Amino acid sequence: MTFDTAYLVAQFPALWRGLLMTLEVSLVAMALSIVIGTAGAAARQLRIPVLSPLVFAYVELIRNTPLLVQMFFIFYGLPAIGIRLSLFWSGVASLAVWAGAFQVENIRGGLSVVGRGLYDAGLALGLRRAKVLLLVALPIGLRMSIPAMLNTSISLLKNSAYLQAIGLRDLTFVAVDRISSDFRILEMFAVLLVTYIVLVFALAAASGVVERRLRRPFAA
Amino acid sequence: MSLIVENAPLFVAGLWATLRIAVVTLIASTLIGFAIGTMATARTAWLRWIARAYTEVLRAVPLIVNLFFVYFVAPLLGLALSPYLAVVVGLSLWGGANAAEVVRGGLLAVPRHQRETARALGLREWQVLLLVVIPQALRAIVPALAGLLVLLLQSTSLGALVGVSEFFRVGQLVIERTTVMQGLDPAFGIYAFMLAVYFVLCSALTLVSRRLERRLGGRHLAAPAL
Repeated sequence: MTFDTAYLVAQFPALWRGLLMTLEVSLVAMALSIVIGTAGAAARQLRIPVLSPLVFAYVELIRNTPLLVQMFFIFYGLPAIGIRLSLFWSGVASLAVWAGAFQVENIRGGLSVVGRGLYDAGLALGLRRAKVLLLVALPIGLRMSIPAMLNTSISLLKNSAYLQAIGLRDLTFVAVDRISSDFRILEMFAVLLVTYIVLVFALAAASGVVERRLRRPFAA
Repeated sequence: MSLIVENAPLFVAGLWATLRIAVVTLIASTLIGFAIGTMATARTAWLRWIARAYTEVLRAVPLIVNLFFVYFVAPLLGLALSPYLAVVVGLSLWGGANAAEVVRGGLLAVPRHQRETARALGLREWQVLLLVVIPQALRAIVPALAGLLVLLLQSTSLGALVGVSEFFRVGQLVIERTTVMQGLDPAFGIYAFMLAVYFVLCSALTLVSRRLERRLGGRHLAAPAL
């Protein structure tokens, strides 16, 4: 089997659309996962009754079940109880819910770095606990959890490839589709490997820069 | 609910296949992990580079792409892999990369002076590794490998995509059959049931991993991630 460059060029538009879909679904899910993570970590930190144990259960449930099954549950299972999401939003929801569980733990990790003294100082100044969290702990804690959050985001981007299984036309879907129709196996895998490696390494490099930046002292 | 009871033998067979794949890939991953992880801490630079390239590439590529790669490319190389074997090989290569990171972390967690003392006592390089460093590194490595088993167990579900009759595939078959023959859609109940089964198995393993970590008292290694 020879490597057919002309074929690759001909498939470029379809692959490009696939890549855009991968990026679109991943970026929306990343943003949502950070919102879920922040809210979840706050509920845990403030020990809000009912909500805090629920967040704990959510995190354990997501981390101890396969992402692929979660996706099928959301896309094929939820319509039975009246929750009908489009393919795209099913993809976003499953990735966001999955990564959100990890973001809760990442942000909790960041918050745990914030010293006891800062909480006490906030309380002593007459701030309510929620205010201390919002104005004192989160600005510092979120910053400390950025490297971990980026790592989870990298996983999210990578694992968006799972969505081809429910039929979302992402990069992997397009490539696998071409393989089954045209048998251009080498060309398509070359594209997949190179693209994912470039994307992941770019994000990892960004994460490295942020991590080094964070190691500098505060207030600069 | 009655669907699950009616199809219990199918589910049990699927679960058995899932567990078998998970255990076989864990063993293969561990072997690959020790080979690559030891290379990653070797004194020879090019060995370290090979180990690094292997782990970085396998961890950067989505597991599902890696699996399809083995499934589609192996026949081109004249290897006729059954779907079952393709999944085992694909998961093991990926698990091996993650295990290598674990082993590397474990080896680096052993204080330097242990190596130096062993060398000073006249042990050969392989003896230093095998008799002094690895036994101490195991305290950190074993709990993390139990964590890897959780991920492997979850990832066996990808086998359904290439037609391996493991647990998840069985669930899909039951749903398809019920939809076609009885005209109702049991997807919600069946998928919820499957999530519950995976949850029980994986959280039990997660607990074992945490307990091992406390019991063995090794350094905490970053858990492998999907």
